Amino acid sequence: MVKRIALAQLSSCWGCDQSLLDLHFRLLDVLPELDIVYWPAVVDYKLHHLEAMPKNSIHIGFVEGSCRTKEDVHLLKVMREKSKVLVAWGSCSAYGGVQGLGNQWTLKELLERKFLKADTITDPRIPEENLPGFTESVKANPEIVPFDGILPGCPPTSDNTLEALSALLSGQPYDLPDKTVCDQCPKERREKRITEFHRTYEGKIDPDKCLLDQGYLCLGFATIGLCGAQCPTVNTPCKGCFGPPPSVKDHGAKIISALGAIADMSPEELNEAFPDPLGSFYFTDYATSFLSKIREKGRTSEK
Amino acid sequence: MSKEGKTIRIAPVTRLEGHGELTVRLTKTGKVKDVQFNVSSTRFFEKFLEGRFAEEAPRIAQRICGICPEPHHLASVKAVESAWKVTPPPAATKLRRLLINAKQYSSHALHFFALAAPDFLAGPFGDPALRNVVAIIKALPDVGKLALSVMQFGQDLAAAVGGKAIHPVTAVPGGMLNPFSEEKRDEFLKRVVEAKEHTLETVTLAKKVVQDYWDPITKLAVVNTYYLGMHKKGNLEIYDGNLRVMNPEGEIVADFHPKDYKKYYGEYVPEHSYATHTYYKPEGYPAGIWRANTLARVNVADRMATPMAQEALQDMRDALGRPIHATFAYHWARVIEMVQAVEEIEALLKDPDIVSTDVKLSDVEPRKGEGVGCVEAPRGTLVHNYWTDEKGIIKKVNLVVATNNNIAGIEKSLVETAKQIFEEKAHETLKLPEPMIK
Repeated sequence: MVKRIALAQLSSCWGCDQSLLDLHFRLLDVLPELDIVYWPAVVDYKLHHLEAMPKNSIHIGFVEGSCRTKEDVHLLKVMREKSKVLVAWGSCSAYGGVQGLGNQWTLKELLERKFLKADTITDPRIPEENLPGFTESVKANPEIVPFDGILPGCPPTSDNTLEALSALLSGQPYDLPDKTVCDQCPKERREKRITEFHRTYEGKIDPDKCLLDQGYLCLGFATIGLCGAQCPTVNTPCKGCFGPPPSVKDHGAKIISALGAIADMSPEELNEAFPDPLGSFYFTDYATSFLSKIREKGRTSEK
Repeated sequence: MSKEGKTIRIAPVTRLEGHGELTVRLTKTGKVKDVQFNVSSTRFFEKFLEGRFAEEAPRIAQRICGICPEPHHLASVKAVESAWKVTPPPAATKLRRLLINAKQYSSHALHFFALAAPDFLAGPFGDPALRNVVAIIKALPDVGKLALSVMQFGQDLAAAVGGKAIHPVTAVPGGMLNPFSEEKRDEFLKRVVEAKEHTLETVTLAKKVVQDYWDPITKLAVVNTYYLGMHKKGNLEIYDGNLRVMNPEGEIVADFHPKDYKKYYGEYVPEHSYATHTYYKPEGYPAGIWRANTLARVNVADRMATPMAQEALQDMRDALGRPIHATFAYHWARVIEMVQAVEEIEALLKDPDIVSTDVKLSDVEPRKGEGVGCVEAPRGTLVHNYWTDEKGIIKKVNLVVATNNNIAGIEKSLVETAKQIFEEKAHETLKLPEPMIK
């Protein structure tokens, strides 16, 4: 049976859509099984078409992006109401995404930087006419409405999306694996004894050996193994963009505690090596961290 | 129509990377009062890049765009290298050129086939269910196969160089983290032969569309603006060159190194859009509204950098002159740039340096400084400007992304089109072909 599918985009980069299109010729196998009822990235249906659909009339809803504007929140709620099965597609949707790092500042500070203080701005003002307005902070979508599943990744690979979609189309369960990027990585690993961390521009990387063993902060050990270890395979440390495996609650906290165990370094030395722990340990999931939530609570109680 | 007139909202604008809505306001007598292109989201990269390791910026900032992460990745790494006064090895620069051309190629293919072609193949009045690339693939299998082939070639090559096609990872201050293997070089040398043929087929298809739609192309949304684009000794360039500004009469009024961009760039903040309107500052706003992207680049460049592309450009100039103000000609210029991209890709693959392992310096030191990185993204000139401290941490950021160079021009085109449609009923009088998909 052909299934009705909707793909909605909240604030994000289009990368998840590009990843789906990157199935290329394999699209020819998938497309006949889909009746696309909403996908503004590719198809011309408007928001009012989606709003007019009956409740639960969409078999599968994919939501990418996170709620940076009030319009995003509205679209997310409409998608929840209309979809039988709703999937948080990509790390923005599942965890808030890279824009979650904006939660380090207040909305006022973000607006000022962009619209009032940017170097090339000639007439500063904060635009408001016929515009939705912003959310105070970025949250993971599953904290706003209930979801039936998440498929993280920045973006999820074409294969990831195809597997999830194929499972949903055939009514099979789609569960995330509890393995890590290290489990998928071809590089040779030894027992870790790190005495110094290097930044990626430093030195020469040995292409055969584990990057973390060589002192480069590769987060494969704390990151879900869905991507096929694409980055370490090309001598580039994992930044953790797929988030943690399902058993880990707080990605950065897990990384920090693990580093304490594998590095022969004092807390002061580690502090010195990582002056930006939030950016280094919560690339796409700061919005889900305990730290971000505590900060948010603090701001709310100040008001 | 009420006493106050009428407001038409189109939400969302579809087949668009990003978030946009359209507001058209008509007076009670049916005249166009104004048109707003409401860009309705932004994510504040300028702020949350602060405090990060500068060498990580190429992996963070590219999340601005999932269709064109390669130009962001490269503009970003160039900005850091400029702040730290680092020059990567020549072979690394060639790999980066290969990466940006691969993306130029696949993005233009995606834009032409998936974002633009539906309007022409299904026709502007086509059923929304048929006016998309999915329907094209089903209804016109030959065109669909051509579309999928060209998109795949560019994306596969970008992934081979960048580690992944969407949000590549290999560029780092001082070079590239991963050399290009001989196996991959040989694979793509084989595939580029077919890609060239497919590109010429795409040019043929584009020319048929131009012929079929000659009336609207030459009459609808023809707007005089300034143009901004990169060149190298007059040749169209996308990785490393000077920037030119052309005025609506076709004279080059500025030619400068991107590090001096602040002298020429102004950003007007409209009341009704989160995307700013970038313009030619010496002329003021709105007189200095410029456009970037494909048509702007072929307007400001004297010639294309490669022979087949030059032939294709000459065809367009014979038909439409220079400068070309017809907004729809952007699509024609897009396929001309695809020709240059595939020719550059072939030349780079044939260069023995492309498989050099000398692609990364090992003695890069961070410095306190300001750096500007500029490349041409598929949709226009892209500037990343970073300030770093002595430890190489980002202290401040200014970004002028490609699309912002076009927002004011898009709005100008929309005002013109709305007048033609609502006041002159152009849609009833313009000659349109039978749609290929019905």
